[in-house]
Amino acid sequence: MIPSLFDYFAPSTLDETLLLLDQYGEDGKILAGGHSLIPAMRLRLAQPEKIIDIGALRPQLSYIKQNDNNIVIGAMTSYYEIETSTLLKETWPVLPEATSLIGDTQIRNWGTIGGSLVHADPSSDLPAVLLALGAELVLQSKAGGERLVPIEEFFVHIMTTSIEPNELLIEIRIPKPQGQKASYVKLANKASHYAVVGAAVVVSLNQGIIREIKIAFSGLAATPLRAEGVEEALKGQLPNDAIIAAACKECAAEVDALTDLHGSQEYRRAMAEVYAKRAIKAAISRNLSLIRL
Amino acid sequence: MLENQSLEPTTNGYKAVGHSVRRTDGAEKVRGEIRYAGDLHLPGMLHARPVLSLYAHARIKKIEVEAALKVPGVVRVVTAAELPLILEASESRKRNPLAKDEVIFYGQPVAVVLGETEAAALDGANLVQVEYEELPAAIDLLLALQPNAPLVRRKEGHGADLEAQIHATIEVKAEKEKAVLPPNVSNHVHFQQGDVEAGFREAAVIVENTFRLPMVHQSYLEPQVVVAAPDPLGGLTVYSSTQAGFSARRDVAAALGLPQNKVKVVSMPVGGGFGGKFGLLEPWAAGLAKLVGRPVKLGYYRMEDLLAANPAPACVIEVKVGARADGTFCALKARLIFDTGIYPGAPVWLAGMLLGSYYRFDNYEIEGLEVLTNRPNSGAYRAPGAAQASFAIESQIDALAHALQRDPLELRLQNCAVEGDLNPSKRPWPRIGLKECLEKLQQHPAWQHRATKGVDQGIGIAVGGWPGGLEPATALCRLDHDGSFTVTTGISDLTGVTTSLQLIAAEVLGLKPEQVTVHNVDTDSAPYAGASGGSKTTLTVGAAVVKAAEDARKQVLEIAAQYLEASPEDLELSEGKVKVKGLPSRSVTLQEIANLSMSFGGRFEPVFGRGSSAITRNAPSFAVHLARVKVDRETGEVKVLGYVAVQDVGFAINPAEVAGQIHGGVTQGLGWALYEQMVYDETGTLLSGSLMDYTLQTAAMVPPIDVQLVEIPAPDGPFGAKGVGEPPIIPGAATIANAIFDAIGVRVTEVPATPERLLKAIWSRQF
Repeated sequence: MIPSLFDYFAPSTLDETLLLLDQYGEDGKILAGGHSLIPAMRLRLAQPEKIIDIGALRPQLSYIKQNDNNIVIGAMTSYYEIETSTLLKETWPVLPEATSLIGDTQIRNWGTIGGSLVHADPSSDLPAVLLALGAELVLQSKAGGERLVPIEEFFVHIMTTSIEPNELLIEIRIPKPQGQKASYVKLANKASHYAVVGAAVVVSLNQGIIREIKIAFSGLAATPLRAEGVEEALKGQLPNDAIIAAACKECAAEVDALTDLHGSQEYRRAMAEVYAKRAIKAAISRNLSLIRL
Repeated sequence: MLENQSLEPTTNGYKAVGHSVRRTDGAEKVRGEIRYAGDLHLPGMLHARPVLSLYAHARIKKIEVEAALKVPGVVRVVTAAELPLILEASESRKRNPLAKDEVIFYGQPVAVVLGETEAAALDGANLVQVEYEELPAAIDLLLALQPNAPLVRRKEGHGADLEAQIHATIEVKAEKEKAVLPPNVSNHVHFQQGDVEAGFREAAVIVENTFRLPMVHQSYLEPQVVVAAPDPLGGLTVYSSTQAGFSARRDVAAALGLPQNKVKVVSMPVGGGFGGKFGLLEPWAAGLAKLVGRPVKLGYYRMEDLLAANPAPACVIEVKVGARADGTFCALKARLIFDTGIYPGAPVWLAGMLLGSYYRFDNYEIEGLEVLTNRPNSGAYRAPGAAQASFAIESQIDALAHALQRDPLELRLQNCAVEGDLNPSKRPWPRIGLKECLEKLQQHPAWQHRATKGVDQGIGIAVGGWPGGLEPATALCRLDHDGSFTVTTGISDLTGVTTSLQLIAAEVLGLKPEQVTVHNVDTDSAPYAGASGGSKTTLTVGAAVVKAAEDARKQVLEIAAQYLEASPEDLELSEGKVKVKGLPSRSVTLQEIANLSMSFGGRFEPVFGRGSSAITRNAPSFAVHLARVKVDRETGEVKVLGYVAVQDVGFAINPAEVAGQIHGGVTQGLGWALYEQMVYDETGTLLSGSLMDYTLQTAAMVPPIDVQLVEIPAPDGPFGAKGVGEPPIIPGAATIANAIFDAIGVRVTEVPATPERLLKAIWSRQF
């Protein structure tokens, strides 16, 4: 359980980091919280030649704040900081809630939101939540400066994203809520507690009628995935159990679902339907409780 | 309870035993101060890293070591031919740790790289290139049983094949009828009584099912590790994580052709054994150390331990049972098929015997087959065979109760075995506590209120019993200058038994527990104690400690009698003093006796007690469990809401530790029921090869466990104590399966009841 040999760099500034990325490209690997990379290196599943440890950038890239339109989260913000953020609890409580389901205390103390996104493990929780929230990612490189990527365009395949080898993810921007409420529920792999299938839902109601809804799955397929058919079926509806069940019925039948020891393709498709229903009901009841208040 | 370490008399007036105390090794373990075998770093020590097979069955064409040898720090690459171990006619993992010519399971060690550092050895191991020619493999248990199945190994007349041939022609029935068994069958057992077909004709209800259990890993926290150090005079010291130091010494001495007195085995603190550490790596590590003349550390990483240790065997059990209209059981027919992996040794006899032993069946026929496959050979795991047998028979008893519309607990009480009933090995049960455990559960609120339950909730119960192991043992007890005593044994402490032995000696000597120190020492110095396993350590070594302490006490009183000029019968030993009864002013302290017997010019012989036990009467112990579960019908997830574990422990020496041991067993039983399985694909590749996929529970996943003790004393046990370790793992799978049936009417016949497996069972019932 010892990694293979690598060169280690610990840049102290963002410029230095971008310079190193520019220099080493494909051979360089960013070390942030380390909770995905280090296990992969210890198992020698990953054998990067150059490790660029950006621990020194933590003070600069760890923040949760708001501007006029967005909630902005620094890429090195830890799960723990997200889980305990007052601003997020007041705006998008689904983020602290989903984060509380990740791993254990030690992992949440060290793991970062940016690390999770760039690692792009399909069973991670936050990518699906951020997809439902319509987040945008800020990537930066020495040559190209800042580049804004909608999250829909970020995930390419299992553990593969559209980030360029010379780019660093520095910030996540999430539109502020405008009356929507969100939920995230998951069926956890009993061994690793990663999602076998999870569903994130963002919904807004107008006098009980669904005005807009976004549904995204974790764990189901190679990348986080929207359930657009379900969204279409529910828009404009006055939801009840039967309507939600009908909208979700066999919603993942066509999905090229993952398969492993913790859930076959058939099981994951069935669970997508179950968890879509559960997440939709949870998000709607959150809207309704607001109305009652 | 734990806070109260005073010696207020409670149970039976005892002052030490029967009171809960903290474990003597608890604090250093919690603080991380204890040093295990893997923590040793001897001067000049090399690190060994194995190269594991990527095929379940293949011919080794070539092992390319040049690249590995070029890695700075790599000292040597060792293959089977160079390992200086004496070969036997029959192969074994201990004697043949490296594959030669042919690999016969996925993950089998093929070579081992020795490096100055672990990193160098690992880099080297990654560069060893092995060229294989894949061969047909016997992976699936039922396919391996077929007459035309691929043979587990090609070589003829060796090891498993030879073993298989020996067993292949055997008596199948009591008559002289002979049957030739399929080539991969390595053992066959048969138990029979009465006329089973006639029995079924008497039955009002008959239930028949086939049960499946997977290969399960013991999952000790500490993977297997050995440090072997040669000495200049040709001997060896072996520091091991084993639970069986004396047998490791025999193994190493025989494998290297050394006299036993040239091999010292130091049993290091054990980070869990559960039967899986009865010796595996010791001869291998010793052989490497002898080969290179330097200390060698050979330890498995977690993933290697999952691949290449000795897990509990998978099995298929077919069971048909019948009951008369009045509820008495009339017939049992069972066939057990155990997957023993590459070598014989699965607990099929024990499983078959236990399957027919918990209840009175007038007629039964139980057949067991042991089948070789290209998977790792089976090892012992807490109550070997019993957890499997209980899942099958206790599920069927539940099904019988349902078919008869009878209360499942009352039906068990009506039929359960009691003292004098013959078990399938034709031996009468001694006094056992099965009935008392059932009665205790019957009065428990969790059972009394079983009708009150939420939607999709269910209550299940099941029985587990264990015959209990025996082995002679000796213990020593020495008086020290400060008036305290040192007890010496040769055990490995897996379960807190050191603390129990301390309490036992303190009770006999009338001292506080802290005035007794227990040392578990190496095989050069220790009196014989046998392996720690089989639920026998407290029973047999505890009985030896009672006698050793009594012997020491007698010696103390004899010295005191001379010193005080009194008759030994008029003396009493308590609170560190020997007093003349009725004359408290005439007394002598233990310190004074120590000084009189251990000083220059002393008058008396040093106090050194010796006690041995050779118990021949088993002390079987039974457990009855109850679980309340809630099933999610949409996902197949099972949540265990509450758990009650009733167990006959004879007498609880340290009740908190007994409860802790039961908590651990229940947790592992829940692993059998819901989580743990080693999954192999059709080529024999292990798919659940890490703890990302092999599901172990975290503390948060374990329900509250209510431990209820029954104390029916064992006649030969110290203060009546019986073994505690094995029973609590046994009933878990059936308890949960029966609770699931009660909740949703679906009978689980294959464990673990993973969400997907259970959901599919729910679906198949709906359509």
